[in-house]
Amino acid sequence: MLDAELTPTSDFHALNAMLNLYDGEGHIRFDADRLAARQYFLQHVNQNTVFFHSLDEKLGYLVDEGYYEVEVLDQYSRNFQRKIWDAAYAKKFRFPAFLGAYKYYTSYTLKTRDGQRYLERYEDRVVMVALSLARGDEALAMRLMEEIISGRFQPATPTFLNAGKKSRGELISCFLLRMEDNMESIGRAINSSLQLSKRGGGVALMLTNIREHGAPIKGIENQSSGVIPVMKLLEDSFSYANQLGARQGAGAVYLNAHHPDILRFLDTKRENADEKIRIKTLSLGVVIPDVTFELAKRNEDMYLFSPHDVERVYGKPFSEISVTDKYEEMVDDRRIRKRKINARAFFQTLAEIQFESGYPYIMFEDTVNRANPIDGRISMSNLCSEILQVNEASRFNDDLSYDHLGTDISCNLGSLNIAATMDSPDFGATVETAIRALTAVSEMSAIDSVPSIRRGNDEAHAVGLGQMNLHGFLARESIHYGSDEGIDFTSCYFAAITYHAIRASNALAREHGHSFKGFEKSKYADGSFFDKYTSRDWLPETDAVRALFERLNVALPTREEWSELKQAVMRDGLYNRNLQAVPPTGSISYINNSTSSIHPIVSKIEIRKEGKIGRVYYPAPFMNNDNLDYYRDAYEIGPDAIIDTYAAATEHVDQGLSLTLFFPAEATTRDINRAQIRAWKKGIKTIYYVRLRQTALEGTEVEGCVSCTL
Amino acid sequence: MRAAFPAPSEPRAPAPPRTPIRQKVRAVKDTIEQPRAVPRAINWNRLQDEKDLEVWNRLTVNFWLPEKVPLSNDVQSWATLRPEERELTIRVFTGLTLLDTIQNSLGAPAMLADAQTPHEEAVLTNIAFMEAVHARSYSSIFSTLCLTREVDEAFRWSEDNPHLQEKARLILDEYDAGADPLRRRIASVFLESFLFYSGFYLPMYWSSRGKLTNTADLIRLIIRDEAIHGYYIGYKFQRAAERLSEAERQNLKDFAFNLMFDLYGIETRYTGELYDGIGLTGDVKAFLHYNANKALQNLGYEALFPPAACEVNPAIMAALSPDSENHDFFSGSGSSYVIGKTVATEDEDWDF
Repeated sequence: MLDAELTPTSDFHALNAMLNLYDGEGHIRFDADRLAARQYFLQHVNQNTVFFHSLDEKLGYLVDEGYYEVEVLDQYSRNFQRKIWDAAYAKKFRFPAFLGAYKYYTSYTLKTRDGQRYLERYEDRVVMVALSLARGDEALAMRLMEEIISGRFQPATPTFLNAGKKSRGELISCFLLRMEDNMESIGRAINSSLQLSKRGGGVALMLTNIREHGAPIKGIENQSSGVIPVMKLLEDSFSYANQLGARQGAGAVYLNAHHPDILRFLDTKRENADEKIRIKTLSLGVVIPDVTFELAKRNEDMYLFSPHDVERVYGKPFSEISVTDKYEEMVDDRRIRKRKINARAFFQTLAEIQFESGYPYIMFEDTVNRANPIDGRISMSNLCSEILQVNEASRFNDDLSYDHLGTDISCNLGSLNIAATMDSPDFGATVETAIRALTAVSEMSAIDSVPSIRRGNDEAHAVGLGQMNLHGFLARESIHYGSDEGIDFTSCYFAAITYHAIRASNALAREHGHSFKGFEKSKYADGSFFDKYTSRDWLPETDAVRALFERLNVALPTREEWSELKQAVMRDGLYNRNLQAVPPTGSISYINNSTSSIHPIVSKIEIRKEGKIGRVYYPAPFMNNDNLDYYRDAYEIGPDAIIDTYAAATEHVDQGLSLTLFFPAEATTRDINRAQIRAWKKGIKTIYYVRLRQTALEGTEVEGCVSCTL
Repeated sequence: MRAAFPAPSEPRAPAPPRTPIRQKVRAVKDTIEQPRAVPRAINWNRLQDEKDLEVWNRLTVNFWLPEKVPLSNDVQSWATLRPEERELTIRVFTGLTLLDTIQNSLGAPAMLADAQTPHEEAVLTNIAFMEAVHARSYSSIFSTLCLTREVDEAFRWSEDNPHLQEKARLILDEYDAGADPLRRRIASVFLESFLFYSGFYLPMYWSSRGKLTNTADLIRLIIRDEAIHGYYIGYKFQRAAERLSEAERQNLKDFAFNLMFDLYGIETRYTGELYDGIGLTGDVKAFLHYNANKALQNLGYEALFPPAACEVNPAIMAALSPDSENHDFFSGSGSSYVIGKTVATEDEDWDF
């Protein structure tokens, strides 16, 4: 079968799958994938798309039939509508890879209610997103359309999928909820999870404050059942709320490493865990303070503290306490009950579970809080470990109403394609337009079913501008991922993004006449945030990267420009409390023809599996049979180069970055522990998944398979 | 050590008398084995064959249980299959269950007696156990997706289906206590590397169409195991056959190809009966050819079917590889996680 002919009549799934099988000469068959994309349109898309004679007919039908929100279109003249649609179609957009087209048409485009026929082409979706987010501002709508269709800016899935549609979910990607140590808070959090899942967001919850297994309730000993049953309730809630079957609700839970239930929490992901405590679909995250590393270094025991007692002693929840600062004090305090485990054994267990399940995520608590420019404490992250924001506990009355309405976290995301952004005619304007689009999503969202989320969003307008296609861009420019040049570029690029993002948010503050709540207590207000930009240069240190920025005509901000920005921010403030977060970018990077996030590729030909579309094969962008050298995959590149690249980016990102570590299956828990230590030492804020690749035993491999070979 | 597993009993009345090959093998084995009377503890630090440890390590890190896979995520997808497609799927899985049951309770234990090393015995017991896990897995799929009535009906079907019963019978005959140990291995490799695949085709096909993708994850775990089982048993067969004379080897080879022809004939009829209804018989046959060649290759024999006859739909071929799949971060557990090797950190690791 390896010599199967490429026939134009072939099934597009089969053509796409040929990508994963070398041809007779050992070459990757990129042409088969291009043919697959073409055949997909000829055989499937074109035949199943509803045809309209004119734009007027199309918009009339889509509004009358209740597919499009008429309020979005009514903000613009018919004349402008024609202009923007014409401009979008004039771009002659084509999907370069089969997966991009397939993913777009299966998951994003507007379909008839029976799901059988397509009502939108890619251009229509882009224009509707631009018109929605620009809210009547013609110039912004045009700029936004331009940024999206040229592939520079890609809104996150909830925004790109939903904007402009009449029946739709929320535009926001991601929610983070606190849980306090009382039944009212637990019940409210479960209810909120159902509501947010129904609307299409991923939800993370913090369990750190829940009292441990065996803790007293109302003074009676051995009553509490700890965090595991709460996790079970959450897991079932998320699988119940599944967005009209579009996808399963998804949730994550975070627990501090010094919580007494920590080992039970990790054991829920064991291969041989009992069904009653096994957690299959809920994601886990562990919050690790610096002191845990110090204890492990000295090979000492680590104490685990009862959150119930900590709250009684300090008068505030466990999550509000820095375990590192209070560690010795809590160890010596007899009022706090505690138990101990060996710190190195804890890290080893962590690595064992990561081997078996890929979980837990890790958040380095003290690193995160040191880097946080905002007043307040960060005690958890989210489903993709890139959101890092402060929150505030709510309190409830006996009738379950709010005694005090706290704040919870939401974040809307969107990512820049690094390659396309570097090619932008105006780098700064691209970043500014992206920040404006994300801010619009925040302003257009009001989640009334979860008042703490609504309050958090109204006060903070937090956004998360991400990045993707770093590996694709570096390979296109003949730079190896993780090389000195690769890291040099990453550092300069992210510094420049940070400059323009802050500049845009500062402009928004001037336009609105106010800043986010709490600005005056932030490191932006006193200017200390800018110290590292005004005291040194963030310019290329290698010739290759200097030449690259010059050739592509991207000007990097100087110290003087940073100083001016500092003055402007101290004077007029910032509109968005948070600006950047680098998500893992799954689906949108395929539509956008990018490599995911700032990770290396996982394979030259990536096998992508998703519930809705099955197995599809995806070639790395800009790759051909001549430049394969620059496409070493994440397992070949190894954790060190990935950590170093992320460390260079982390320096400039106010929130987090989803960092996955990749190991061959021959690795040991010690290798994983070493990578964790390196990441922590280098100032990485969070670790997302640990992924393993097992190569087939010699003699059992599938013949000629691209993704199976090293 | 031979004590725990006595040698096969003398042939029963209707069975043929011992063949010269069998005596020869027994003689060879006796020369390399410890005296039967002395029970010996297995020492993994004294290996006669490095392959035993390599395969043992691979099989143990690959350990899994069906509970790992969130099969319930396929409930909605299951509902989108037409009734005849659902019936076909259940039938295919009952057929696979039967093969796993045979291999678990008869195939792998039957080979124990003829193990060349104590470590091979250990590997075979692992194989036997995992076959039980596989057989158990299909029941997990059934209980998650199907109604009891449908499942009971399919199990009845499997008991009545002449082709399924015939192929099971052919294999069982070779597993019989009186059969030749090397022929037993040939039959075992054919079961592991060939007979399963008419069934494996269907979940791979569904997953290439975006259906039952979590079930496909589970099946891929099974395929990952079966690939190693077939490879290892074939490897052991080749080592044992090396000690035979040219003529004896030729006899075995004739036997192998004859058995393959017989099984292939049954498989094509079985395939036709199952897949004619959805028009996939041709493609499944190409897949059978590909895997028949694989099975023969595991025994060290040349391919039977020409490449042109093995042109499987690339979507199926590519779907077979369990490695490095990048799945949506919340939709499933994938098929590439393994149980890790635990090594404690040292002071030098905590250098900060």
